[in-house]
Amino acid sequence: MALLEVDNIRAGYGDGPDILKGLSMEIEQGKTYCIIGPNGAGKSTLLRAICGLLHPREGNVTFKGEVLNKLRTDEILRRGISFVPQDRCLFPDMSVKENLRMGGYILRNRKELEDRIEEVLVMFPILEKCGSQQAKTLSGGQQQMLAIGRALVLRPEVIMLDEPSLGLAPKIAQYIFDIIAQLKDAGMTIILVEQNARKGLECADWGCVLDLGYNRFEGPANTILNDPRIQELYLGRQKQDRQEKTA
Amino acid sequence: MNEFVQVLLFGLTLGGVYALMASGLTLVFGVMRIVNLAHAIFMILAAYIAYFAFTIYNIDPIISIFITMPVMFFVGIAVYWLFFARIKGTARTGELTVLLTFALALMAEGLLGYFFSNVYRSANPPYATQALHFGPYILSAGQFYATLMSISLIALLWAFLKYSRIGYAIRATMQNISAAQVVGVNVERMSMVAFGIGMALAGASGSMMSFLFTFYPGKHWEWIAILLALIVLGGMGSLGGALAGAFILAISSALVGHYFGFTWSPITFFLALFIILLFRPQGLFGKKMEA
Repeated sequence: MALLEVDNIRAGYGDGPDILKGLSMEIEQGKTYCIIGPNGAGKSTLLRAICGLLHPREGNVTFKGEVLNKLRTDEILRRGISFVPQDRCLFPDMSVKENLRMGGYILRNRKELEDRIEEVLVMFPILEKCGSQQAKTLSGGQQQMLAIGRALVLRPEVIMLDEPSLGLAPKIAQYIFDIIAQLKDAGMTIILVEQNARKGLECADWGCVLDLGYNRFEGPANTILNDPRIQELYLGRQKQDRQEKTA
Repeated sequence: MNEFVQVLLFGLTLGGVYALMASGLTLVFGVMRIVNLAHAIFMILAAYIAYFAFTIYNIDPIISIFITMPVMFFVGIAVYWLFFARIKGTARTGELTVLLTFALALMAEGLLGYFFSNVYRSANPPYATQALHFGPYILSAGQFYATLMSISLIALLWAFLKYSRIGYAIRATMQNISAAQVVGVNVERMSMVAFGIGMALAGASGSMMSFLFTFYPGKHWEWIAILLALIVLGGMGSLGGALAGAFILAISSALVGHYFGFTWSPITFFLALFIILLFRPQGLFGKKMEA
Protein backbone atom coordinates (compact mmCIF):
# COMPACT_ATOMS: atom_id res chain seq x y z
CA MET A 1 0.00 0.00 0.00
CA ALA A 2 1.20 3.47 -0.82
CA LEU A 3 2.22 5.72 2.08
CA LEU A 4 0.32 8.67 0.68
CA GLU A 5 -2.43 8.43 -1.86
CA VAL A 6 -4.11 11.20 -3.80
CA ASP A 7 -7.25 9.83 -5.32
CA ASN A 8 -9.10 11.74 -8.01
CA ILE A 9 -9.07 15.06 -6.17
CA ARG A 10 -10.63 18.31 -7.30
CA ALA A 11 -9.51 21.46 -5.55
CA GLY A 12 -9.50 25.21 -6.12
CA TYR A 13 -9.42 28.53 -4.29
CA GLY A 14 -12.53 30.25 -2.88
CA ASP A 15 -15.38 30.20 -5.34
CA GLY A 16 -12.97 29.91 -8.29
CA PRO A 17 -12.78 27.07 -10.77
CA ASP A 18 -11.10 23.75 -10.04
CA ILE A 19 -7.32 23.92 -10.33
CA LEU A 20 -6.95 20.19 -9.74
CA LYS A 21 -9.50 18.42 -11.90
CA GLY A 22 -9.44 14.84 -10.77
CA LEU A 23 -5.78 14.26 -10.03
CA SER A 24 -4.46 10.97 -8.72
CA MET A 25 -1.03 9.81 -7.64
CA GLU A 26 0.60 7.42 -5.18
CA ILE A 27 3.60 8.17 -3.00
CA GLU A 28 5.68 5.31 -1.65
CA GLN A 29 7.73 5.43 1.52
CA GLY A 30 11.34 6.52 1.24
CA LYS A 31 11.15 7.65 -2.37
CA THR A 32 11.70 11.06 -3.87
CA TYR A 33 9.10 12.41 -6.28
CA CYS A 34 9.60 15.35 -8.56
CA ILE A 35 6.50 17.06 -9.88
CA ILE A 36 6.94 19.18 -12.97
CA GLY A 37 4.58 21.00 -15.28
CA PRO A 38 3.86 24.42 -16.74
CA ASN A 39 2.56 27.39 -14.75
CA GLY A 40 -1.03 26.84 -13.64
CA ALA A 41 -0.72 23.05 -13.86
CA GLY A 42 -1.68 22.75 -10.19
CA LYS A 43 1.69 21.72 -8.69
CA SER A 44 1.58 24.03 -5.69
CA THR A 45 -2.16 23.51 -5.31
CA LEU A 46 -1.55 19.77 -5.01
CA LEU A 47 0.94 20.30 -2.17
CA ARG A 48 -1.44 22.70 -0.42
CA ALA A 49 -4.25 20.17 -0.72
CA ILE A 50 -2.09 17.43 0.80
CA CYS A 51 -1.02 19.53 3.79
CA GLY A 52 -4.47 20.84 4.60
CA LEU A 53 -4.04 24.45 3.54
CA LEU A 54 -6.70 23.75 0.95
CA HIS A 55 -9.47 21.20 1.34
CA PRO A 56 -10.29 19.07 -1.70
CA ARG A 57 -13.77 19.59 -3.12
CA GLU A 58 -13.91 15.98 -4.24
CA GLY A 59 -11.71 12.91 -3.99
CA ASN A 60 -9.49 11.82 -1.11
CA VAL A 61 -6.00 12.38 0.22
CA THR A 62 -5.08 9.32 2.27
CA PHE A 63 -2.01 8.91 4.51
CA LYS A 64 -1.32 5.45 5.95
CA GLY A 65 -4.92 4.55 5.22
CA GLU A 66 -6.38 7.62 6.98
CA VAL A 67 -8.31 10.20 4.96
CA LEU A 68 -6.82 13.66 5.52
CA ASN A 69 -9.41 15.72 3.61
CA LYS A 70 -11.05 17.50 6.52
CA LEU A 71 -8.03 17.73 8.81
CA ARG A 72 -6.38 21.03 9.67
CA THR A 73 -2.73 21.66 8.85
CA ASP A 74 -1.63 21.17 12.48
CA GLU A 75 -3.36 17.78 12.54
CA ILE A 76 -1.64 16.77 9.31
CA LEU A 77 1.72 17.97 10.67
CA ARG A 78 1.19 15.74 13.69
CA ARG A 79 0.78 12.79 11.35
CA GLY A 80 4.19 13.45 9.84
CA ILE A 81 3.74 15.57 6.70
CA SER A 82 5.63 18.88 6.56
CA PHE A 83 5.49 21.52 3.87
CA VAL A 84 8.01 24.15 2.76
CA PRO A 85 6.08 26.65 0.62
CA GLN A 86 7.39 28.42 -2.44
CA ASP A 87 7.79 31.86 -0.82
CA ARG A 88 9.54 30.24 2.19
CA CYS A 89 6.91 31.66 4.52
CA LEU A 90 9.19 32.72 7.34
CA PHE A 91 8.39 35.02 10.24
CA PRO A 92 10.40 38.04 9.15
CA ASP A 93 10.71 39.81 12.50
CA MET A 94 11.54 36.67 14.46
CA SER A 95 15.10 35.46 14.91
CA VAL A 96 16.41 32.28 13.27
CA LYS A 97 16.02 30.40 16.55
CA GLU A 98 12.50 31.71 17.06
CA ASN A 99 11.59 30.61 13.54
CA LEU A 100 12.93 27.15 14.31
CA ARG A 101 11.00 27.15 17.56
CA MET A 102 7.86 27.96 15.60
CA GLY A 103 8.67 24.95 13.40
CA GLY A 104 8.08 22.82 16.47
CA TYR A 105 5.05 24.78 17.60
CA ILE A 106 2.91 21.65 17.84
CA LEU A 107 5.43 19.98 20.18
CA ARG A 108 4.50 20.47 23.83
CA ASN A 109 7.77 19.24 25.33
CA ARG A 110 10.23 22.15 25.45
CA LYS A 111 13.28 19.96 26.06
CA GLU A 112 12.42 17.79 23.07
CA LEU A 113 11.93 20.91 20.97
CA GLU A 114 15.31 22.36 21.96
CA ASP A 115 16.99 19.00 21.18
CA ARG A 116 15.45 18.92 17.75
CA ILE A 117 16.46 22.50 17.06
CA GLU A 118 20.01 21.50 17.97
CA GLU A 119 19.82 18.62 15.45
CA VAL A 120 18.73 21.05 12.73
CA LEU A 121 21.51 23.46 13.62
CA VAL A 122 24.03 20.64 13.29
CA MET A 123 22.67 19.97 9.82
CA PHE A 124 22.75 23.68 8.89
CA PRO A 125 25.79 25.14 10.69
CA ILE A 126 25.26 28.45 8.94
CA LEU A 127 21.98 28.88 10.81
CA GLU A 128 23.78 28.35 14.10
CA LYS A 129 26.02 31.31 13.30
CA CYS A 130 23.11 33.65 12.68
CA GLY A 131 20.80 32.24 15.35
CA SER A 132 19.84 35.59 16.82
CA GLN A 133 19.54 37.36 13.48
CA GLN A 134 16.06 38.30 12.23
CA ALA A 135 14.87 36.11 9.36
CA LYS A 136 14.27 39.12 7.12
CA THR A 137 17.97 40.00 7.24
CA LEU A 138 19.12 36.61 5.90
CA SER A 139 20.17 36.00 2.31
CA GLY A 140 17.85 34.04 -0.02
CA GLY A 141 19.85 30.84 0.43
CA GLN A 142 19.95 31.17 4.20
CA GLN A 143 16.19 31.80 4.23
CA GLN A 144 15.61 28.64 2.21
CA MET A 145 17.80 26.65 4.58
CA LEU A 146 15.85 28.08 7.49
CA ALA A 147 12.55 27.16 5.84
CA ILE A 148 13.73 23.57 5.26
CA GLY A 149 15.29 23.38 8.73
CA ARG A 150 12.07 24.65 10.28
CA ALA A 151 10.12 21.87 8.55
CA LEU A 152 12.66 19.29 9.73
CA VAL A 153 12.22 20.20 13.40
CA LEU A 154 9.20 17.91 13.45
CA ARG A 155 11.22 15.00 11.95
CA PRO A 156 8.53 14.45 9.33
CA GLU A 157 8.03 11.22 7.43
CA VAL A 158 7.12 13.17 4.30
CA ILE A 159 8.55 16.56 3.40
CA MET A 160 7.07 18.56 0.55
CA LEU A 161 9.25 21.25 -1.00
CA ASP A 162 7.74 23.80 -3.33
CA GLU A 163 10.32 25.33 -5.69
CA PRO A 164 13.21 25.22 -3.20
CA SER A 165 15.74 26.61 -5.68
CA LEU A 166 13.56 29.49 -6.87
CA GLY A 167 15.47 32.76 -7.06
CA LEU A 168 18.73 31.31 -5.77
CA ALA A 169 22.17 31.64 -7.32
CA PRO A 170 23.28 28.36 -9.00
CA LYS A 171 25.86 27.61 -6.32
CA ILE A 172 23.34 28.08 -3.52
CA ALA A 173 20.70 26.13 -5.45
CA GLN A 174 23.17 23.26 -5.76
CA TYR A 175 23.71 23.37 -1.99
CA ILE A 176 19.94 23.07 -1.50
CA PHE A 177 19.85 20.06 -3.87
CA ASP A 178 22.71 18.51 -1.87
CA ILE A 179 20.59 18.88 1.25
CA ILE A 180 17.66 17.20 -0.52
CA ALA A 181 20.00 14.37 -1.49
CA GLN A 182 21.03 14.03 2.18
CA LEU A 183 17.38 13.80 3.24
CA LYS A 184 16.81 11.21 0.54
CA ASP A 185 19.77 9.17 1.77
CA ALA A 186 18.37 9.37 5.28
CA GLY A 187 15.27 7.59 3.97
CA MET A 188 12.84 10.50 4.04
CA THR A 189 9.94 10.57 1.61
CA ILE A 190 10.26 13.73 -0.46
CA ILE A 191 7.80 15.44 -2.78
CA LEU A 192 9.54 18.11 -4.75
CA VAL A 193 7.98 20.69 -7.04
CA GLU A 194 10.78 22.25 -9.02
CA GLN A 195 10.95 24.82 -11.80
CA ASN A 196 14.42 23.57 -12.63
CA ALA A 197 12.81 20.35 -13.87
CA ARG A 198 16.03 18.74 -15.06
CA LYS A 199 17.76 19.27 -11.73
CA GLY A 200 14.69 18.14 -9.81
CA LEU A 201 14.30 14.95 -11.84
CA GLU A 202 17.99 14.18 -11.50
CA CYS A 203 17.65 13.89 -7.75
CA ALA A 204 14.28 12.09 -7.82
CA ASP A 205 13.27 8.44 -8.14
CA TRP A 206 9.96 9.13 -9.75
CA GLY A 207 8.62 11.99 -11.86
CA CYS A 208 5.09 13.24 -12.44
CA VAL A 209 4.08 15.64 -15.16
CA LEU A 210 1.07 17.77 -14.30
CA ASP A 211 -0.88 19.80 -16.81
CA LEU A 212 -4.15 21.71 -16.40
CA GLY A 213 -4.92 19.98 -13.15
CA TYR A 214 -4.32 16.41 -14.31
CA ASN A 215 -1.47 13.98 -13.75
CA ARG A 216 -0.64 13.60 -17.45
CA PHE A 217 2.32 11.35 -17.21
CA GLU A 218 4.41 9.66 -14.58
CA GLY A 219 7.25 7.21 -14.41
CA PRO A 220 10.82 6.70 -13.22
CA ALA A 221 12.58 10.04 -13.15
CA ASN A 222 15.22 8.82 -15.64
CA THR A 223 12.57 7.80 -18.13
CA ILE A 224 10.91 11.20 -17.93
CA LEU A 225 14.25 12.93 -18.16
CA ASN A 226 14.99 11.10 -21.42
CA ASP A 227 11.49 11.14 -22.91
CA PRO A 228 11.69 13.33 -26.03
CA ARG A 229 8.10 14.60 -25.64
CA ILE A 230 8.73 15.70 -22.09
CA GLN A 231 12.07 17.15 -23.08
CA GLU A 232 10.42 19.29 -25.72
CA LEU A 233 7.54 20.36 -23.56
CA TYR A 234 9.07 20.92 -20.16
CA LEU A 235 12.81 20.52 -20.21
CA GLY A 236 13.54 23.08 -22.92
CA ARG A 237 15.27 20.72 -25.36
CA GLN A 238 14.08 22.58 -28.45
CA LYS A 239 15.37 25.79 -27.02
CA GLN A 240 18.65 24.08 -26.16
CA ASP A 241 18.94 22.59 -29.68
CA ARG A 242 18.25 25.96 -31.24
CA GLN A 243 20.88 27.54 -29.06
CA GLU A 244 23.37 24.84 -30.07
CA LYS A 245 22.61 25.42 -33.80
CA THR A 246 23.02 29.16 -33.40
CA ALA A 247 26.31 28.59 -31.65
CA MET B 1 11.14 75.93 30.55
CA ASN B 2 9.33 74.70 33.67
CA GLU B 3 6.04 75.31 31.96
CA PHE B 4 7.14 73.28 28.93
CA VAL B 5 8.25 70.34 31.10
CA GLN B 6 4.98 70.54 33.03
CA VAL B 7 2.96 70.24 29.80
CA LEU B 8 5.26 67.48 28.62
CA LEU B 9 4.62 65.52 31.82
CA PHE B 10 0.89 66.06 31.42
CA GLY B 11 1.11 64.62 27.88
CA LEU B 12 3.26 61.71 29.04
CA THR B 13 0.80 60.67 31.73
CA LEU B 14 -2.03 60.70 29.21
CA GLY B 15 0.11 58.88 26.63
CA GLY B 16 0.27 55.68 28.68
CA VAL B 17 -3.52 55.46 28.84
CA TYR B 18 -3.86 56.21 25.13
CA ALA B 19 -1.30 53.49 24.44
CA LEU B 20 -3.35 50.97 26.42
CA MET B 21 -6.47 51.97 24.49
CA ALA B 22 -4.70 51.67 21.14
CA SER B 23 -2.86 48.42 21.93
CA GLY B 24 -6.03 46.30 21.80
CA LEU B 25 -7.11 47.86 18.53
CA THR B 26 -3.74 47.35 16.89
CA LEU B 27 -3.41 43.77 18.19
CA VAL B 28 -6.75 42.82 16.64
CA PHE B 29 -5.76 44.48 13.38
CA GLY B 30 -2.38 42.75 13.38
CA VAL B 31 -3.82 39.26 13.79
CA MET B 32 -7.16 39.50 12.02
CA ARG B 33 -6.51 42.36 9.58
CA ILE B 34 -9.71 44.07 10.64
CA VAL B 35 -10.23 47.59 11.90
CA ASN B 36 -12.55 47.13 14.84
CA LEU B 37 -14.66 50.28 14.75
CA ALA B 38 -16.53 48.97 17.79
CA HIS B 39 -13.39 49.01 19.98
CA ALA B 40 -14.24 52.36 21.61
CA ILE B 41 -17.86 51.50 22.38
CA PHE B 42 -16.62 48.41 24.19
CA MET B 43 -14.27 50.67 26.15
CA ILE B 44 -17.34 52.71 27.11
CA LEU B 45 -19.21 49.54 28.10
CA ALA B 46 -16.28 48.65 30.38
CA ALA B 47 -16.28 52.22 31.72
CA TYR B 48 -19.92 51.72 32.75
CA ILE B 49 -19.01 48.45 34.48
CA ALA B 50 -16.18 50.18 36.37
CA TYR B 51 -18.40 53.17 37.13
CA PHE B 52 -21.18 51.05 38.64
CA ALA B 53 -18.69 48.81 40.44
CA PHE B 54 -17.37 51.98 42.08
CA THR B 55 -20.67 53.73 42.82
CA ILE B 56 -22.55 50.62 44.00
CA TYR B 57 -19.84 48.39 45.49
CA ASN B 58 -17.14 50.98 46.11
CA ILE B 59 -14.62 49.01 44.04
CA ASP B 60 -11.69 51.19 43.04
CA PRO B 61 -11.78 51.88 39.27
CA ILE B 62 -8.15 50.85 38.82
CA ILE B 63 -8.76 47.61 40.73
CA SER B 64 -11.88 47.08 38.63
CA ILE B 65 -9.65 45.89 35.78
CA PHE B 66 -9.88 42.50 37.48
CA ILE B 67 -13.57 42.58 36.62
CA THR B 68 -13.62 44.47 33.32
CA MET B 69 -10.76 42.56 31.69
CA PRO B 70 -12.15 39.02 32.10
CA VAL B 71 -15.71 40.18 31.38
CA MET B 72 -14.65 41.93 28.17
CA PHE B 73 -12.43 38.99 27.20
CA PHE B 74 -15.45 36.70 27.21
CA VAL B 75 -17.61 39.34 25.51
CA GLY B 76 -14.90 39.40 22.83
CA ILE B 77 -14.93 35.62 22.44
CA ALA B 78 -18.72 35.67 22.14
CA VAL B 79 -18.69 38.52 19.61
CA TYR B 80 -16.02 36.75 17.58
CA TRP B 81 -17.86 33.46 17.62
CA LEU B 82 -21.25 35.03 16.83
CA PHE B 83 -20.17 37.41 14.09
CA PHE B 84 -16.61 37.18 12.80
CA ALA B 85 -16.31 33.41 12.59
CA ARG B 86 -19.33 33.35 10.29
CA ILE B 87 -18.03 35.77 7.69
CA LYS B 88 -14.42 34.53 7.68
CA GLY B 89 -13.31 33.06 4.41
CA THR B 90 -16.05 34.74 2.37
CA ALA B 91 -15.04 36.62 -0.75
CA ARG B 92 -15.43 40.07 0.78
CA THR B 93 -14.36 39.45 4.37
CA GLY B 94 -12.36 42.70 4.54
CA GLU B 95 -15.25 44.97 3.55
CA LEU B 96 -17.75 42.95 5.57
CA THR B 97 -15.76 43.26 8.79
CA VAL B 98 -15.69 47.07 8.48
CA LEU B 99 -19.48 47.12 8.03
CA LEU B 100 -19.91 44.56 10.77
CA THR B 101 -17.86 46.45 13.35
CA PHE B 102 -19.63 49.68 12.35
CA ALA B 103 -23.01 47.99 12.86
CA LEU B 104 -21.82 46.51 16.17
CA ALA B 105 -20.76 49.96 17.36
CA LEU B 106 -24.16 51.41 16.44
CA MET B 107 -26.05 48.56 18.12
CA ALA B 108 -23.97 48.71 21.29
CA GLU B 109 -24.32 52.52 21.39
CA GLY B 110 -28.10 52.18 21.06
CA LEU B 111 -28.30 49.57 23.80
CA LEU B 112 -26.08 51.53 26.20
CA GLY B 113 -28.08 54.68 25.46
CA TYR B 114 -31.32 52.80 26.19
CA PHE B 115 -30.11 51.44 29.52
CA PHE B 116 -27.95 54.29 30.81
CA SER B 117 -29.19 57.32 28.82
CA ASN B 118 -26.82 59.88 27.37
CA VAL B 119 -25.97 61.49 30.69
CA TYR B 120 -22.30 62.36 31.22
CA ARG B 121 -20.78 60.16 33.93
CA SER B 122 -17.46 59.84 35.65
CA ALA B 123 -16.35 57.82 38.67
CA ASN B 124 -14.89 59.89 41.48
CA PRO B 125 -12.29 57.99 43.47
CA PRO B 126 -10.35 60.24 45.90
CA TYR B 127 -7.19 60.32 43.76
CA ALA B 128 -9.14 61.61 40.72
CA THR B 129 -8.95 65.12 42.14
CA GLN B 130 -5.63 64.86 43.97
CA ALA B 131 -2.30 66.19 42.77
CA LEU B 132 1.17 64.74 43.15
CA HIS B 133 4.12 67.08 43.58
CA PHE B 134 7.45 66.19 41.99
CA GLY B 135 9.71 69.14 42.82
CA PRO B 136 8.32 72.10 40.92
CA TYR B 137 6.02 69.90 38.85
CA ILE B 138 2.48 68.86 39.59
CA LEU B 139 0.83 65.77 38.19
CA SER B 140 -2.74 64.61 38.39
CA ALA B 141 -2.66 61.60 40.71
CA GLY B 142 -5.41 59.87 38.75
CA GLN B 143 -3.57 60.28 35.44
CA PHE B 144 -0.31 59.17 37.01
CA TYR B 145 -1.74 55.99 38.54
CA ALA B 146 -3.70 55.21 35.37
CA THR B 147 -0.60 55.56 33.26
CA LEU B 148 1.43 53.40 35.64
CA MET B 149 -1.22 50.69 35.45
CA SER B 150 -1.49 51.07 31.66
CA ILE B 151 2.26 50.74 31.16
CA SER B 152 2.32 47.71 33.47
CA LEU B 153 -0.44 46.06 31.46
CA ILE B 154 1.34 46.80 28.18
CA ALA B 155 4.55 45.32 29.64
CA LEU B 156 2.61 42.21 30.66
CA LEU B 157 1.12 41.97 27.19
CA TRP B 158 4.60 42.30 25.69
CA ALA B 159 5.99 39.56 27.95
CA PHE B 160 3.02 37.34 27.15
CA LEU B 161 3.54 37.81 23.41
CA LYS B 162 7.29 37.37 23.69
CA TYR B 163 7.54 34.31 25.94
CA SER B 164 4.32 32.31 26.03
CA ARG B 165 3.39 29.64 23.51
CA ILE B 166 0.15 31.42 22.62
CA GLY B 167 2.09 34.67 22.42
CA TYR B 168 4.48 33.11 19.90
CA ALA B 169 1.52 31.93 17.86
CA ILE B 170 -0.15 35.35 17.96
CA ARG B 171 3.07 37.10 16.91
CA ALA B 172 3.57 34.53 14.17
CA THR B 173 0.05 35.14 12.87
CA MET B 174 0.66 38.90 12.98
CA GLN B 175 3.83 38.53 10.94
CA ASN B 176 2.77 35.99 8.34
CA ILE B 177 -0.60 34.24 8.41
CA SER B 178 0.35 31.67 5.74
CA ALA B 179 3.56 30.78 7.56
CA ALA B 180 1.65 30.41 10.81
CA GLN B 181 -0.70 27.95 9.14
CA VAL B 182 2.21 26.02 7.65
CA VAL B 183 3.77 25.44 11.07
CA GLY B 184 0.48 24.28 12.51
CA VAL B 185 -0.88 27.37 14.26
CA ASN B 186 -4.65 27.20 14.39
CA VAL B 187 -5.06 30.68 12.96
CA GLU B 188 -8.81 30.70 13.52
CA ARG B 189 -8.38 29.98 17.24
CA MET B 190 -5.55 32.50 17.55
CA SER B 191 -7.75 35.15 15.93
CA MET B 192 -10.42 34.43 18.52
CA VAL B 193 -7.93 34.60 21.40
CA ALA B 194 -6.38 37.80 20.02
CA PHE B 195 -9.82 39.36 19.65
CA GLY B 196 -10.56 38.38 23.25
CA ILE B 197 -7.27 39.91 24.44
CA GLY B 198 -7.97 43.05 22.41
CA MET B 199 -11.33 43.34 24.12
CA ALA B 200 -9.79 42.68 27.53
CA LEU B 201 -7.46 45.61 26.86
CA ALA B 202 -10.51 47.67 25.88
CA GLY B 203 -11.91 46.57 29.25
CA ALA B 204 -8.87 47.83 31.14
CA SER B 205 -8.98 51.07 29.12
CA GLY B 206 -12.62 51.48 30.09
CA SER B 207 -11.69 51.18 33.76
CA MET B 208 -9.17 54.01 33.34
CA MET B 209 -11.60 56.04 31.27
CA SER B 210 -14.26 55.77 33.98
CA PHE B 211 -12.43 58.21 36.25
CA LEU B 212 -10.12 60.09 33.88
CA PHE B 213 -12.73 61.32 31.45
CA THR B 214 -16.45 61.92 31.39
CA PHE B 215 -18.23 59.44 29.18
CA TYR B 216 -21.60 58.64 27.62
CA PRO B 217 -22.43 56.15 24.83
CA GLY B 218 -22.13 58.58 21.91
CA LYS B 219 -18.63 59.57 23.02
CA HIS B 220 -17.14 56.47 21.38
CA TRP B 221 -17.06 58.09 17.92
CA GLU B 222 -14.67 60.71 19.22
CA TRP B 223 -12.51 58.04 20.85
CA ILE B 224 -12.35 55.69 17.88
CA ALA B 225 -11.24 58.62 15.69
CA ILE B 226 -8.44 59.41 18.15
CA LEU B 227 -7.40 55.75 18.44
CA LEU B 228 -7.31 55.33 14.67
CA ALA B 229 -5.02 58.36 14.45
CA LEU B 230 -2.71 56.78 17.06
CA ILE B 231 -2.41 53.42 15.38
CA VAL B 232 -2.11 54.83 11.86
CA LEU B 233 0.71 57.09 13.05
CA GLY B 234 2.52 54.18 14.72
CA GLY B 235 1.81 51.71 11.91
CA MET B 236 -1.26 49.52 11.98
CA GLY B 237 -0.66 46.16 13.58
CA SER B 238 2.50 47.27 15.39
CA LEU B 239 2.34 47.29 19.20
CA GLY B 240 5.50 49.34 19.47
CA GLY B 241 4.01 51.69 16.92
CA ALA B 242 0.82 52.10 18.94
CA LEU B 243 2.91 52.94 21.99
CA ALA B 244 5.01 55.49 20.10
CA GLY B 245 1.96 56.95 18.33
CA ALA B 246 0.13 57.31 21.64
CA PHE B 247 2.96 59.16 23.37
CA ILE B 248 3.78 61.37 20.38
CA LEU B 249 0.19 62.44 19.90
CA ALA B 250 -0.65 62.77 23.59
CA ILE B 251 2.34 65.08 24.08
CA SER B 252 1.67 67.00 20.85
CA SER B 253 -1.96 67.46 21.78
CA ALA B 254 -1.01 68.67 25.26
CA LEU B 255 1.45 71.17 23.77
CA VAL B 256 -1.07 72.39 21.19
CA GLY B 257 -3.70 72.70 23.91
CA HIS B 258 -1.36 74.69 26.13
CA TYR B 259 0.02 77.06 23.54
CA PHE B 260 -2.99 77.49 21.21
CA GLY B 261 -5.93 76.74 23.50
CA PHE B 262 -7.67 73.48 24.34
CA THR B 263 -10.24 73.83 21.58
CA TRP B 264 -7.37 73.14 19.16
CA SER B 265 -6.12 70.13 21.04
CA PRO B 266 -8.25 67.42 19.32
CA ILE B 267 -7.27 68.64 15.88
CA THR B 268 -3.69 67.47 16.57
CA PHE B 269 -4.80 63.85 16.11
CA PHE B 270 -6.54 64.45 12.81
CA LEU B 271 -3.83 66.70 11.45
CA ALA B 272 -1.27 64.00 12.27
CA LEU B 273 -3.49 61.40 10.60
CA PHE B 274 -3.75 63.57 7.49
CA ILE B 275 0.00 64.21 7.30
CA ILE B 276 1.02 60.60 7.95
CA LEU B 277 -1.40 59.29 5.33
CA LEU B 278 0.01 61.74 2.81
CA PHE B 279 3.71 61.16 3.43
CA ARG B 280 4.08 57.77 5.14
CA PRO B 281 0.87 55.78 4.84
CA GLN B 282 2.42 52.71 6.46
CA GLY B 283 3.01 54.75 9.65
CA LEU B 284 6.22 55.10 11.64
CA PHE B 285 6.73 51.39 12.36
CA GLY B 286 4.41 49.74 9.86
CA LYS B 287 5.34 47.77 6.77
CA LYS B 288 4.50 48.95 3.29
CA MET B 289 1.41 47.23 1.94
CA GLU B 290 2.07 45.32 -1.22
CA ALA B 291 -0.19 45.79 -4.21
